[in-house]
Amino acid sequence: MKKVLIVDDAAFMRHTIKAMLTKNGFEIVGEAENGALGVERYKELSPDIVTMDITMPEKDGIEALKDIKKIDANASVLMVSAMGQEKLVKNSIIAGAKGFIVKPFKEDKLVEALNKL
Amino acid sequence: MSDDFNTYSEPMLEMFMFETNQSMEQLEEILLNIEGNSTITDDDINEVFRIMHTIKGSSSMMMFNNISKITHSLEDLFYFIRENKIYDLDLTRLSDLVFSTIDFISFEISKIEKGKDPDGDESQLTSDIKDYLNSIKNDHPDQEIILSEDEEDHENFISKENLSQDSNEFIAKIFFEDDCKMENMRAFTLLRDLEEIISEVTHTPKDLFDDEEAADKIIEDGFNMLFRSQEDYDKILDLLEDGMFVESVDLEEVENEEEKSEEIKKTQVDLEEQKKKTLNETLKNPFSLNKNKNIISVNVEKMDMLMDLVGEIVITESMVTKNPEIQNLELENFDKAARQLRKLNNELQDIVMSIRMIQIGPTFHKMHRIVRDMNKQLDKNTRLEISGEETEVDKNIIDTLGEPLMHLIRNSLDHGIESTEDRIAKGKDEKGLVSLDAVNTGGDVIITIKDDGKGLNRDKLLEKATKNNLLTKSPEDMSDKEVFSLILLPGFSTKDDVTEYSGRGVGMDVVKKSIEKVGGNIQIESEKDVGTTINIKIPLTLAIIDGMKISVGDSIFTVPTNTIKESFKAKKEDLIKDTSGKEMILIREDVYPVVRLHEIFGLKSKKTSLLEGILVMVETEESNYCLFADEILGEQQVVVKPIPAYLMQYTVKDSGVAGCAILGNADISLILDISGIANKYI
Repeated sequence: MKKVLIVDDAAFMRHTIKAMLTKNGFEIVGEAENGALGVERYKELSPDIVTMDITMPEKDGIEALKDIKKIDANASVLMVSAMGQEKLVKNSIIAGAKGFIVKPFKEDKLVEALNKL
Repeated sequence: MSDDFNTYSEPMLEMFMFETNQSMEQLEEILLNIEGNSTITDDDINEVFRIMHTIKGSSSMMMFNNISKITHSLEDLFYFIRENKIYDLDLTRLSDLVFSTIDFISFEISKIEKGKDPDGDESQLTSDIKDYLNSIKNDHPDQEIILSEDEEDHENFISKENLSQDSNEFIAKIFFEDDCKMENMRAFTLLRDLEEIISEVTHTPKDLFDDEEAADKIIEDGFNMLFRSQEDYDKILDLLEDGMFVESVDLEEVENEEEKSEEIKKTQVDLEEQKKKTLNETLKNPFSLNKNKNIISVNVEKMDMLMDLVGEIVITESMVTKNPEIQNLELENFDKAARQLRKLNNELQDIVMSIRMIQIGPTFHKMHRIVRDMNKQLDKNTRLEISGEETEVDKNIIDTLGEPLMHLIRNSLDHGIESTEDRIAKGKDEKGLVSLDAVNTGGDVIITIKDDGKGLNRDKLLEKATKNNLLTKSPEDMSDKEVFSLILLPGFSTKDDVTEYSGRGVGMDVVKKSIEKVGGNIQIESEKDVGTTINIKIPLTLAIIDGMKISVGDSIFTVPTNTIKESFKAKKEDLIKDTSGKEMILIREDVYPVVRLHEIFGLKSKKTSLLEGILVMVETEESNYCLFADEILGEQQVVVKPIPAYLMQYTVKDSGVAGCAILGNADISLILDISGIANKYI
């Protein structure tokens, strides 16, 4: 079972992603509500996959992604973006995100994206 | 809502509403700050942007399109402001737009709460926001360039120097799955993934970033690439097909230079350089949010159930330990165990109570908005002062308080605070003041709403009450307090003082009712041209109180223990009567009135002489007095049950009964309303 860490400042999004993934056989090992905590959790939990919201307080998703990549260059991080954030998505891709998904997304899309990682 | 969501909709929806409501409150606070300081800080802009962004994401997931559209347009506006560092904003217009958005979203959420579809039309507001954005853009034409500057001159793509002789040329056409979104960025991701193995890449659409139609072109015609690679066909095909959301790949190995697709033109950019460039523009995050990390949110219904259950346990405990069948037995071990049980039950109650307690601050802060709106509408200048916001009150009570407070504040601004000219003429500070305060006095919370307006006019109130036939006494006999209380009577507010705000068809009687529903009472003090003070007294929690059981004839009453000062047998020499024949008792040189419970409740009792029964001295916030009862039966915790609705129609509430309780032997005991009795009978 793939271990997933969900990083998102909106509890609603964490909950949604968690529900979708749990149903599809992923194990949610942790959640974090900002980038800084996300990096901490990554160190503690070494998950297989991280879903990372881009816009967050404390430390945004791209910064967190970079920090995680420093810890583990092979980390699988899926960015969660909103419409209209092309530029930020581009930066994440350059910073080493394995892929991204755009809100609003459906369950099958999320699961498919994660399975590709 | 889409079918996709039905599986999770319940908890999802709840969380969505909860978070959105919270964000709205946060937003409102930021806005009021902006208005209060008449400046907007970077933090404010960032925070508004972030909140809008979050709600946009959540609402689009829930398919609440109107909410996501409106948040999107506001997000765009704040994005522009943030990126271009525009500070010379029309703050009034800006905050009006945000306030309208808050109202719109809150209203939609309230529809969702009621199980309706959020079907409000956002288009007017969205276009207002867009108009404003355009007007800012026009005022700052030069700055628009900044927006795109850092994305200029990216010709895309990758070149690799280590071009080997034996590399082959390929053409690929890639389609992505429907609805995977941002196809241009999908293509960019593919390019990055292949970076290691391909070189001399050209592609159409050639501009993946600045060309707004790039994504549509890819949807339409696919993402077309021409590149060289040393890898073999199968490996490249595998890699491409393995890309995220790749639907189909059409890969061809080119044998002949001339066969190169005509439509593909060469443009090159070094990915490395691009990387460096974009890494430098890292986003800073100046937000500082103190979030409590170890907090969970629990459904209130579950809390209510827990509370009820604890109530039942308390009743059951007394049914067991006070069981008539064991009353006369010597049961040492049983008593010991019963005491232990009692102790644990007490702790359990304390904890359950404390879980339900929340600070009154947020409820108070919502009033800022009311004051702001009223000031604007009525052209008054009033500030709201808040204190005691850390006072904690039971969640249920907090929920009931919002409406009455709002109404009282509206009244203060509408009828209390004078116009600026009048205030200056009276020599008052031209800025009116309304203050809200909450204090915990042990068993109760007292909430004070105070204004420094013109005060209530005794004569006018009496005149109006006479006209509406509401007087039960002759006006001369009425104290100021009684006169002021007239405004709490149903039917006092008449049509002609209905204004947009205080009117709305609800009078102060509704305020009184909602306060009473949670076991509270309301008192009014007022002085001409000094202002009006309204005190609302509410029990800290509704549910369980320590009570002293006293008997009167065949009835058992419960007196809340925290109101009892002492109890004693009367001595003949201490009994006196005042000039009107009212009974009083002299204790330590002070005189206290005596209230005979059997008389006020019309009960038959054998003990009618004050010397036979027992006197219980109780205190109210104004005075102390003595209740006369047959005897004291003992202390017991009781669960307060409200007076049944069918009894409420007989003004039970005003007769000195606060509620009922079920005793250990399943008898019903009435809980006395100590201040109610004082008001009525002394």
